[in-house]
Amino acid sequence: MSVIEARQLAKSFWIPSAKRETVREHVLHAFRSRSFERLDVLRSVSFEVKAGETIGIMGRNGSGKSTLLKILCGIYGADAGALVVRAPVTPILELGLGWNPELDAVDNVLLIGTAMGMRLREARHSVDEILAFAGLERFAGMPLKHFSSGMAARLAYSVAFKAVRDVLVLDEIFAVGDQEFKNKCQARFRELSARGHTVLLVSHDPWVVSEFCPRTLVLDGGRIVFDGPGADAVKEYTRRVVGP
Amino acid sequence: MSMQVRKCPAAPRIDVPGMLWTLVRTDFKSRYHGTLGGFVWALLKPALMFVVLMSVFSLIFAATPNYRLNLIVGLFLWEFFSEATKTALISLHSKGFLLTKAQFPSWILVVSSLSNAVITLGVFTVTFLVYLAAIGRTPLATELALFGFYLALFFLIVAGFGLGSSVLFLKYRDLNQVWEVVVQAGFFIAPIIYPLDILPERYHIYLYLWPPTPVIQFSRTVLVDGAIPTFKAHLLLVAVAAAVFTTGAAIFRAYSPNAAENL
Repeated sequence: MSVIEARQLAKSFWIPSAKRETVREHVLHAFRSRSFERLDVLRSVSFEVKAGETIGIMGRNGSGKSTLLKILCGIYGADAGALVVRAPVTPILELGLGWNPELDAVDNVLLIGTAMGMRLREARHSVDEILAFAGLERFAGMPLKHFSSGMAARLAYSVAFKAVRDVLVLDEIFAVGDQEFKNKCQARFRELSARGHTVLLVSHDPWVVSEFCPRTLVLDGGRIVFDGPGADAVKEYTRRVVGP
Repeated sequence: MSMQVRKCPAAPRIDVPGMLWTLVRTDFKSRYHGTLGGFVWALLKPALMFVVLMSVFSLIFAATPNYRLNLIVGLFLWEFFSEATKTALISLHSKGFLLTKAQFPSWILVVSSLSNAVITLGVFTVTFLVYLAAIGRTPLATELALFGFYLALFFLIVAGFGLGSSVLFLKYRDLNQVWEVVVQAGFFIAPIIYPLDILPERYHIYLYLWPPTPVIQFSRTVLVDGAIPTFKAHLLLVAVAAAVFTTGAAIFRAYSPNAAENL
């Protein structure tokens, strides 16, 4: 049975010739016309994901990958099409962002953990394990504003790997941390996959896609232009980026 | 594209009380730097403000004891309204980092932003009731219950406003400045520093449409005058609260699905 069914998903953003973001601008320029340029980020994207599948998504910058992930996670809405997601999704998007810089690591873990669907009690019990996975036990009481971007990203991975319910959606996995942390992430990733979790992962890294994704979608211009084995997807992606 | 949009991403089941508590606790901690002194100060501040204001008013308005009590009730209820609405208005924007990260009911961010104003009002209420008991004017149980009812409706009004304004702020980034001006003007529309009676009665109904007015007036009636407003007056307050909350919730419902896109 499919966990995700996307049918002809479309998403556009309307870019105005002049931005009006304030009440003042709306009042002062109420009678001044402005034009809008339509930016079609996704055009008729259809695919299905079966339970337990690991699917890679490749595509050059601006091809619609991040928008697609955000729609799948329910963070953005689609303009047209139909989307059915039958299992809870845990996203890891925009790594390194999304922390309260004034709070320490423990409080940030509790905040993000509960927002990702962990029960507060479960999050409290998991704090030590999460910090240990990120290799940040010594910095448990340090405000996040003193963390490097790599440390913050490691913490983000650790929380999401612990919070994951059924479907895991990852943007640029294994792009952070030193080799030791990357190895830990890969091991955890394989473990989740072996336990039957469905995973969608966006990556520009040919090795990651070939190694972890038996099936990969290649997006270009907001459309799926390839749907097949990871190794072949890498060839298609490379051909489109650097030419034949 | 002619196909109808149908969207049902399954969100993880959220521990709403757990997330609310975490947001309230961490907000409080950020505000007071997580120190014991900060925590004590947060609780002491409204009580000390009460003592300062009451001392000053006792000197200035020595001949009119009810006026100074009315003034202090009005000031604290207004302070709640002012602080809570200003914080709620920017709540989605200030917690936007969570909205782009995970799927959870975003109203939690708006409601949790009211916590500081609620704590301040709670401390004031206790201080004020202790003061009333000390001067031998302890309200009756019915009057206390009605005051609790007014506070609950006031919370509903502020939450409704917060829901609506927080999503609109993402589209109109100077809404907080506009609201600052409205709040400034609203302070004088609500009968806080002047008694309502100085205005002709035919204008009263218009002032009562400004949501803080009935809450302040009715709270004074039960706490200071020891009387109970009419049933019709209560109906008006319930109608005002319901109208504000319903409107705010409808605006939130319409715009919140696109909140992350407007950040």
